Amino acid sequence: MSASQSAVRSRAEAVQVSRTFDWMILFTLFTAVLGGYHIHYMLTGGDWDFWTDWKDRRLWVTVAPIVSITFPAAVQACLWWRYRLPIGATICVVALMLGEWINRYLNFWGWTYFPVNFCFPSNLIPGAIVLDVILMLGGSMTLTAVVGGLAWGLLFYPGNWPIIAPLHVPVEYNGMMMTLADLQGYHYVRTGTPEYIRMVEKGTLRTFGKDVAPVSAFFSGFVSIIIYFLWHFFGKWFAKTDFIADDEL
Amino acid sequence: MKIIKDKVSKLSFVALLVTLTAAMFYTPTASAHGEKSQAAFMRMRTIHWYDLDWSKDEVAINETMTISGKFHVFSGWPETVDKPEVAFLNIGIPGPVFIRQGSWIGGQLVPRSVTLELGETYDFKVLLKARRPGDWHVHTMMNVEGGGPIIGPGKWVTITGSMSEFVNPIVTLTGETINLEDYALDNVYFWHALWYAIGLAWLVFWVKRPMFIPRSIAVVDGKADSLISPLDRKIGIAFALGTVVLVMASMGATNDAYPVTTPLQAGLMRGIKWIDIPAPTVTVKVEDATYRVPGRAMQMTLTITNNGDAAVQLGEFNTASVRFLDAEVYEDESGYPDDILAEEGLTVSDNSPLAPGETRTVEVTASDAAWEVYRLADLIYDPDSRFAGLLFFFDEEGNRQMVTVDSPLIPSFI
Ligand SMILES: [Cu+2]
Repeated sequence: MSASQSAVRSRAEAVQVSRTFDWMILFTLFTAVLGGYHIHYMLTGGDWDFWTDWKDRRLWVTVAPIVSITFPAAVQACLWWRYRLPIGATICVVALMLGEWINRYLNFWGWTYFPVNFCFPSNLIPGAIVLDVILMLGGSMTLTAVVGGLAWGLLFYPGNWPIIAPLHVPVEYNGMMMTLADLQGYHYVRTGTPEYIRMVEKGTLRTFGKDVAPVSAFFSGFVSIIIYFLWHFFGKWFAKTDFIADDEL
Repeated sequence: MKIIKDKVSKLSFVALLVTLTAAMFYTPTASAHGEKSQAAFMRMRTIHWYDLDWSKDEVAINETMTISGKFHVFSGWPETVDKPEVAFLNIGIPGPVFIRQGSWIGGQLVPRSVTLELGETYDFKVLLKARRPGDWHVHTMMNVEGGGPIIGPGKWVTITGSMSEFVNPIVTLTGETINLEDYALDNVYFWHALWYAIGLAWLVFWVKRPMFIPRSIAVVDGKADSLISPLDRKIGIAFALGTVVLVMASMGATNDAYPVTTPLQAGLMRGIKWIDIPAPTVTVKVEDATYRVPGRAMQMTLTITNNGDAAVQLGEFNTASVRFLDAEVYEDESGYPDDILAEEGLTVSDNSPLAPGETRTVEVTASDAAWEVYRLADLIYDPDSRFAGLLFFFDEEGNRQMVTVDSPLIPSFI
């Protein structure tokens, strides 16, 4: 092959090739992020995201944002510093949620028959859009980490509340009070998920009485700031081109 | 260019494969047939299930059946397994083919985990409502924290009808009747679709313009600032503000629509009542025990003393849910699963009634293919080669006494 000869001969052709390249990169990025982010989120967020009877005011609110800000921070670092594209967080979350929906619909419901209203994924899109816009407006990693990371944590619970609130309506069941979500967990038998591994409503943030969700959300936001920094650096490192030899380009 | 194109398409393909294989095929455990693979000592020395009754063999969609009986929490609980301080009465079925409408231990509803006491016997009941047609192996099951699932015997139950007819009506404390099977599902779809559309809109806004090569060139040439226009900023602000406003507004509207909500309920339940069983008046001493590998038989030499006031006979040896009966003393009429019931599997060298005050040493043999089929014989390879089980003695009037045995076991290969 001859490396010195260009494959394109006109400007129109160059534009066309560049655009084709855009779509291929986008497709690759989307599927790779979908796979990696999905696995990461299942391993770290796992049951908190799978089941409504894990979606509590303390641990779900705390854990889900912290473990989910990872890939958005890294992909933002790549897409922003190299291309000034403020879509890193949103593309991650849109990919993740597509993968989650395919998994929940085909496997949880289609294969194992858990009702979809019991095993739908969490909504991460509000935080992702805000994170992307803050990076675009400020163009600063620190600002995005601090303001965006905090917003990521704070928007999570209210962004999901319209979806889960109906399942927090109480019922009286054989003399005990439960929420409908608790009842789903009891009714729809999970052989591999006994009740005691459910980690809900545990924790030490109890000094604030009834308003645990906002306190958990703030705490989650603060940790998200730190995780954002960490993964933003991963992303920057990963987006380096140092390891590609010049003659390959 | 061609090379890069090839590389990229190859990469895309790899990424696609990784995606499809790794992430999307995760399915929550649906299998319920771990019974044979569980270590023999786990099944013999932890929870002993007995007096089990599956109320039906065949049940139509929306109809209910119960599994009831007793379980004895073995006092010789193995050191290697955590004690049942946190345990959950589960049911071993392949996914939610039934829903669990209720489960009780000692008459107490147990939707949560409980603390069980070693050496005690509890009665239990699980109420199941049929949801999905098919033939299902329905097991009793106890999950123990730090010990894993302890699976009891399973029986085949057939569910007939169509799953589309299944309903799960619940009356909430706010007075509504809902069908939990698809309750609030439209709401889930609505919000997810709406937010997904907003996310896609933000992506499309950027993706529809030339992206990687021209923007990369601009960044390298130091013209990065020209890549975000004032209009981009305005639209970005609109997206961010719109997002925050929609989150706040939808949260407010939700609170108006659902003024009564409570947090998820959780917590360990203690003080579960066990059955008061009077101490047995029969005592049993295991002199020795061997397992004959070729004969699939366990032989025990037992010294039995009757301290009661009625003559007794040994009728059953129950270990790891396999029941060996002496047909002349006791017959099972409960419809216990065939594969784990050896109706004539128990032979006693002298099983004439043992009179009050009498002591007798007998040879007892428990033989059945179940030793192999259920891999109980594997216990001879356990680090602590012991066996354990329940012996049931009967008097003339059919009164029953339960005695536990727990003793070393020597294998015999000839
Ligand atoms: Cu089975």
